[in-house]
Amino acid sequence: MASYPQNFRFGEFVGSILWLVFWVLIIVTLVGLPLVFIVLFYVPLPPIGDEVLTPYLFLTMVVDPSRTIPIVEHLMTTDLFRVAVFPGFTYGALIGGLTIFIERKFLAKMQLRVGPLYAGKIEGIFQLIADGLKLIAKEIIVPSGADKPIFWAAPIAFVSVSAAVVTLIPVAPGWVVADLDVGLLAVFAILGFFPLIALLFSWASNSKYPFIGGLRALHQMIAFEIPFILSALSVVILSGTLNLTGVVEAQLQSYWFIFFVPISAFVFYISSLAELERIPFDLPEAESEIVAGWLTETSGMIYGLLQLGSYIKTYALAALFVVLFLGGWAGPQVFPQEFHTPLVDISPLYDPVAANATLWFTLKTFGMIMLFLLPRGISPRIRIDILLHTGWYKLIVLTFINMFIALALIYGGILGPGGLLVR
Amino acid sequence: MSGENKEQPKKPAATPPKPTAAKPPVPAKPPAPAAATAPQKKEPEPPAFEKGIADQIKKRFGEAVKVVFIRPLRIKLMVEPRDIVEVATFLRDTMGLDHAESAGGTDYPKDNQIEMSYHLGSYGREDLASHVLSLSTRTARDDARLPTLINVYKSVEYHERETFEMLGIYFEGHPRNDRFLLPEDWADIPPLRKDFRIKGR
Amino acid sequence: MTSLEDKFEETKRLGLQIVRESEDERLMTLSVGPQHPGSGHFRFTIKLDGDYIVYCDPDPGYVHRGEEKMCEYRNFIQNIPHLERPVIHDSTNITYAYSLAVEELVGIEVPRRGQFIRAIASELNRQVYTLYWLAIYGIFLGHSTMFMWPTGDRELFIDLLEALTGARVTHAYNIPGGVRNDMPEGFRDRCLRQVHYFEKRLKEYEDIFYNNPLFRQRTEQVGVLTKDDAAKLGVTGSVVRASGIPYDIRKAEPYDIYNEIDFKVQYMKTGDSFARSYTPFLDMRESCHIIEQLLDKMPQSGEVRAKLQPNPKGPPGEAYRRVESGRGALGFHIISDGTPKPYRVKISVGSFRNILALPYLLVGQRLADMPAIYWSLNYWPVEADR
Repeated sequence: MASYPQNFRFGEFVGSILWLVFWVLIIVTLVGLPLVFIVLFYVPLPPIGDEVLTPYLFLTMVVDPSRTIPIVEHLMTTDLFRVAVFPGFTYGALIGGLTIFIERKFLAKMQLRVGPLYAGKIEGIFQLIADGLKLIAKEIIVPSGADKPIFWAAPIAFVSVSAAVVTLIPVAPGWVVADLDVGLLAVFAILGFFPLIALLFSWASNSKYPFIGGLRALHQMIAFEIPFILSALSVVILSGTLNLTGVVEAQLQSYWFIFFVPISAFVFYISSLAELERIPFDLPEAESEIVAGWLTETSGMIYGLLQLGSYIKTYALAALFVVLFLGGWAGPQVFPQEFHTPLVDISPLYDPVAANATLWFTLKTFGMIMLFLLPRGISPRIRIDILLHTGWYKLIVLTFINMFIALALIYGGILGPGGLLVR
Repeated sequence: MSGENKEQPKKPAATPPKPTAAKPPVPAKPPAPAAATAPQKKEPEPPAFEKGIADQIKKRFGEAVKVVFIRPLRIKLMVEPRDIVEVATFLRDTMGLDHAESAGGTDYPKDNQIEMSYHLGSYGREDLASHVLSLSTRTARDDARLPTLINVYKSVEYHERETFEMLGIYFEGHPRNDRFLLPEDWADIPPLRKDFRIKGR
Repeated sequence: MTSLEDKFEETKRLGLQIVRESEDERLMTLSVGPQHPGSGHFRFTIKLDGDYIVYCDPDPGYVHRGEEKMCEYRNFIQNIPHLERPVIHDSTNITYAYSLAVEELVGIEVPRRGQFIRAIASELNRQVYTLYWLAIYGIFLGHSTMFMWPTGDRELFIDLLEALTGARVTHAYNIPGGVRNDMPEGFRDRCLRQVHYFEKRLKEYEDIFYNNPLFRQRTEQVGVLTKDDAAKLGVTGSVVRASGIPYDIRKAEPYDIYNEIDFKVQYMKTGDSFARSYTPFLDMRESCHIIEQLLDKMPQSGEVRAKLQPNPKGPPGEAYRRVESGRGALGFHIISDGTPKPYRVKISVGSFRNILALPYLLVGQRLADMPAIYWSLNYWPVEADR
């Protein structure tokens, strides 16, 4: 109920604001500024060119563009930039957000409707922002009897684990957060956390429908874990490495692996759908059966975080498919070698190879994401016994076929070091 | 059904063309129903097929079954509560009326009685598919008890439960005489009885 | 082969035995509804042993409005608008049965053109209802496209009915003695165009939904209701036709001009969820032919409504008339005591009869089959509660 005091005086109102400003200034001067200087005294600042990056220098970039470029260039080499911005979280989240937009419009076209239309004038591009604001503004309801620490921690863990998968994906040559020698194994190890989080969260919700949903998630993800790993194994056999950058480079030297092991690619696609809990494998969230599955008790930003995590995961798995089967960033060079802009010369930042690689990688990833979205428009939900049967019996057998093909290709001298098809 | 107008279905009048005619001819004066005040004089000739069925039932049970009316596609029988299970079993086993379409009661405070009628139909017999036989019985209003037909017609289970709560007829032998449609905290008289008044009406 | 009833009793006994033998709570009790997205205004308590349902207890009544009692306080004409509330998506059919019964009681002859228009409105409205039902069946199985397509095509039929009756869902079009008003100009062409378009769409529905292997896996051999059980339980409409009994009131007891129309009763023999979901689809296709025939055979001019006294009343008597609604036989049993108000109105609806089969079909099935069986029973909770 909006109301204001009955003895409202405008002068008092202005006075109160001034009073507030006064106190803020006092606190900033007495506490904030000393704190900043203490921190700056102890933190070693990196040198940019021949100068040390001081706050003063950092602020000059606003007025002097010639100083901006070296600072940005330096920032781009830091680990924080990689983790937080480009191949890491922000890039993944951005693609995740675009995925939501594309999903809505794409599905709407399939279903002969228009989709979001009003927010943001043009085709409802700000609908996602509106939804996000709504979720932030909503009350978070924690069920009575819920295991509160786990209930609060699980959504954050979900997003973190999704982002952890993203860190392992090489987007362009050299542009990867963690270039591990066992990158592929690390991906599967991290993906193994998801059923655990789902089960923990569903148990912590202290409700029946989430519990059933959590058990279903556990069954489903474990049943598809094995075909998932086995389908990637044939790629490992072909490329001879577990390093994801190495996998891409092996494809740059020959051809995309999807031409050699299409069945594995198919199994990987199906398993990804199951891992992502997308239709037809959305049993853990089956709406008409178990309300919303393990998401039933979520509300407000807890739901928002879980959705964000699942869309980052969608990006991660689509990117993994691209890396393993579609040649990663391979593609013809479309960016020019030199690139000059009229006002501010950004050529020190411009890397034609990385830009080109990013373009092709992003395009392929969106193609894969569209393939992940497609079944939602054409398929009903599967039943759990059929799902488990598919996972344990059919897909595992299918992966073996291509594994033998891969072995034959290697030992037949067609691929591998010095093979016939290796350029 | 009060005593004086129980048996006058078979009186000569205009004959309808076919029993399965699309639009049953409107009877000029339908036979007197339960609440009728005076018996009607003019009655149409009952169709042959329906009459045959009614005669078959009459032959088996004699005076225990009273035929209230016979019209194209519709027959109404009135039996005593103690005979109803036997009659229903006969109708199911011999006549092929294999399911109940509907069952519901009507309150007659003037006669201090409640009438319960089961509308029986047939899926098995093609010639009976279009017919509905109404098997009715009456019980006292103060102590409304009737034997259940659930062992004869499985399909009356929910109808009888509904009638129990709406009219307060206790069905002896029915597994669940309890709340069905009404709220669980309903604490008034059964609402379809005539002395239950809607507020403001 | 054991009957459904025996199987039910056996499973129930086993379920209770499990409870007795192990003191801990092995069974999980789930209350499905009334706030469950897969229940409608309805609740059923189920008990689960692992993934299997061992017990089911339906509990309707959340939208009980006392329609039968309300009828006793209003006269015959006043009853029409509130009688369509139980099933607003099929409102023309429910008032159709009521009008037939009142006409028999009062003794009114409907003009021939009125009968045709009535039948057309009834068929169109059945399409509207069935499309709505199909849309919900699609989303119950997780097929969101099958939710959107019928919902969109239903809009076109609603537009037709709006042109015909003036209202989108609650038409109050059928009244004792005929229909409220005549067809608008150009309705025939519009209706034919829509029906032809819809016949094409039905093929697409079949391709994307009924021929989908996942849909077949979900529904075939799930919740089988045999012919004998269907007859014993007294289910009606598409449920009984899916079990191999070709019973349709339009054929069994043709009302108005339905005996002049050439159509086949669509039925299937398997009695599983697939048959129960496919029979309404076949009905829709047949209904298109019926609409075309009705438009062809309709007299071009004439009265659409019989003259009616302002407050019609008939002699004391009773009438029981049925029509084939979207959910099966819909019967009105009206007892009149000679006053302008009915003495007693008993509405016998398909939903109330079909839901009796739910416990028998659910017990022994998986939890995931619950929506596939429940909604295939062609159950409309509001109608069952009246």
